[in-house]
Amino acid sequence: MTNIERKENQIMEEIKNRVRTILTDGSLDYKQKKHHLAYIAESTQSYPEVSAEAMTALNEKVICDLFEGSAPYRPRYILPDYKLALKKGVKYLELDPPTDLDEAINFLSILYAHVPSITGYSVYLGNIDQLLLPFTGDLSEEAITKKLKLFWRYIDRTLPDAFVHANIGPEDNVIARTILRIERELKQVVPNLTLKYDTDITSDDLLIEAAQTVFEVAKPHIANHKMTAADFKSDYGVVSCYNSLPQGGGSHTLIRLNLKKITDSHQGNAEAFISETLPKYCQITLDIIEARIKYLVETVNYFQNDFLAQEGIISLENFSAMFGFYGLAECVNQLMASSGHNYCYGKHEEANQLAHRILEEMKKQVDSRPLPYCEANNGKAFFHAQSGIDIDIEETAGARIPIGEEPDIYAHINTVAPHHHLFNGGISDIFHFDETIKRNPSAILDIIKGAFKKGMRMFTFNLSDSEFIRITGYLVRRSDLKDFREEGSRYGSALFAANSMDNADVDKRIAKRIDSHERTAGQY
Amino acid sequence: MSELQANISGIIKSSVIDGPGNRMVIFFQACNLNCLYCHNSHTIGLCNLCGLCVQNCPTQSLKIDASNKQIIHNASTCTHCDNCLKNCPENSSPFYKKMTVEHLISEIEEVKDFISGITVSGGEVMLQSEFLKQLFISIKTHPELNHLSILVDSNGNIDENRWNQVLDWVDGFMLDIKAYSSDVHKKITGHTNEKILNSIRYLDSKNKLSELRLVLVPGYNNSKEEIETISGFMQSLSPEVRKVLIKLRKHGIREKYHYLSEPTQLDIAQAVEILESDKHKLLVI
Repeated sequence: MTNIERKENQIMEEIKNRVRTILTDGSLDYKQKKHHLAYIAESTQSYPEVSAEAMTALNEKVICDLFEGSAPYRPRYILPDYKLALKKGVKYLELDPPTDLDEAINFLSILYAHVPSITGYSVYLGNIDQLLLPFTGDLSEEAITKKLKLFWRYIDRTLPDAFVHANIGPEDNVIARTILRIERELKQVVPNLTLKYDTDITSDDLLIEAAQTVFEVAKPHIANHKMTAADFKSDYGVVSCYNSLPQGGGSHTLIRLNLKKITDSHQGNAEAFISETLPKYCQITLDIIEARIKYLVETVNYFQNDFLAQEGIISLENFSAMFGFYGLAECVNQLMASSGHNYCYGKHEEANQLAHRILEEMKKQVDSRPLPYCEANNGKAFFHAQSGIDIDIEETAGARIPIGEEPDIYAHINTVAPHHHLFNGGISDIFHFDETIKRNPSAILDIIKGAFKKGMRMFTFNLSDSEFIRITGYLVRRSDLKDFREEGSRYGSALFAANSMDNADVDKRIAKRIDSHERTAGQY
Repeated sequence: MSELQANISGIIKSSVIDGPGNRMVIFFQACNLNCLYCHNSHTIGLCNLCGLCVQNCPTQSLKIDASNKQIIHNASTCTHCDNCLKNCPENSSPFYKKMTVEHLISEIEEVKDFISGITVSGGEVMLQSEFLKQLFISIKTHPELNHLSILVDSNGNIDENRWNQVLDWVDGFMLDIKAYSSDVHKKITGHTNEKILNSIRYLDSKNKLSELRLVLVPGYNNSKEEIETISGFMQSLSPEVRKVLIKLRKHGIREKYHYLSEPTQLDIAQAVEILESDKHKLLVI
């Protein structure tokens, strides 16, 4: 056997072993196995052509492609123009435009099953109230509730992925209210939910209804509609974990830079970090983004072949890519410590200022790099504070303040709000409230309105004793976590991290119907 | 602007339990009642510079500043053991501060975008009604603060002229009825309650009473007769007044009153049965 043959044999053996591991893994159901097998098949292909330095950064997780796979054959985030589809029908699926609510729900249910994504499940279900309102006719609220409840059950059972995301608002309407009511009643993990909130459009009543829903099921997130809408040429949707993207398009890819790791290996002070290390790694990240986009568009020819593109439900002009990062807090704290200061992000003004400079520099790098097939954002990537995944043990999500180190609510908002405007691709900070707020939901309104006035783009909050627990950006049910460590923990800080890890342990023992497929895809 | 000062025992910039919405709460030092179950007994008295707290501080974090008639507190060495509070014969504290209206306004300005309003509490705030009037006028005539609602949390043991000083500037008052019978009231608070009952009636007649609370103290104010007379009094007030039944909680009350017992489920149920009516809903917390 030649050396090459020996190497090939070895690779084949490895693949066989990985396949066997999946086939025999009792924690995966049939569909999850298929998803992971496809990932292995994809991994047999060479990575889109990038420099050796970029490849090393990927292998060492300095830059993370979030398990998108080595041969992108579908965009990471697709936001179909469901409104257009409902109006025109879908030839590929032999669907005529619906004429009533039953037909509309049935139409969408079918279409959802055919929207590609990294997880295999559509990350976007549409601005569901706007989509369905034209079909309510003279139906009673009772009739609407019954139909929507079945629809919601269908979504949870057939799209069992925590990243599947629906939007409602900003207008107050019967569908939005019914959905919130159904959410409180059914207590499902799927779909994730965002309320687009606009002070001038959304009623206080609807926002209170939303807050009361958060008390029960830790969703919806509240998006600052006016601020987000201004970043897009036409309609946008909030999908997956706080990613805001153009409707009728989406994002080819999301590559995130690990700011902690590049700080670990950085030699020199904060100035050198901002002027040398950071720009260098931003460009490598953008190189990887560019290579992946080209592979998808030019090699796979996705936009020529997929029915969504062929029928105009998505179009290439409405796509861009996402540049993400995480571990800002660790990056800032380490740079501060190495210059002899004990200043922490979220606690000290000096550290906060450094954080802002780092973010501004990254934004500058992203905005000055032209990318192919990114017309949706004028040829540039969307900038995104990535909300983390379970494998992030040492790094804090995006630009968040580390769990357990958050200052009081006003200081917290005042620290993060000044940089929210940078993130046209989305950003999130999670706030925790004591149970007493349940008796006084208008207090939440005050804080959300104040936060948006200060320039926050997205507001997510949790109750300290909620049955639903948010892990980075998606939800799990407390009762789904068998060995949840509850004792002695005040919510918020240590508990959150514990959840993340406990969840990972649970994954290994029992098959779960609902998963965060994005996270698990690269385990095998 | 005025040079008036008030003794402020603390400020909470975000509270969700002191009235509707998110509120900033300002606590005033000194009270004219002395309730057995007071959870903030260190806000009852004023400091007379006796120095017992200084002597009892294990970390020497307190010093008497005789010339300025105040206690100086070193926050960096203080371990928050509360020995000073436990040893104060005046039910006071070395921590309250004198603050001006201007100072409080600047504190409110910091959080104005996040709150529905402010609540003043105590101690007994109305003892400093002249200061309150200045504070409230400053808020309601301030272009960026005038949207804030003002709530006053008071024990009601105050003459009518003091209410009149602030009435026009206040959105609502939250008062307690600690007992209806004067004897029971005296046992709980050390004082009789004629003034308090008058205050409740007066504020209600002015449509300014937003909340009336009863703290249920077993063995004191939970007899059938007592609850029935309280109920009759409550029913005579406007239905719009929010009525709240609060369970006595022993956490945080002075050690010498630890013999008090918390009400049982049955105690609560019996009180609710008498107090609640179709027109007068009762919130139990």
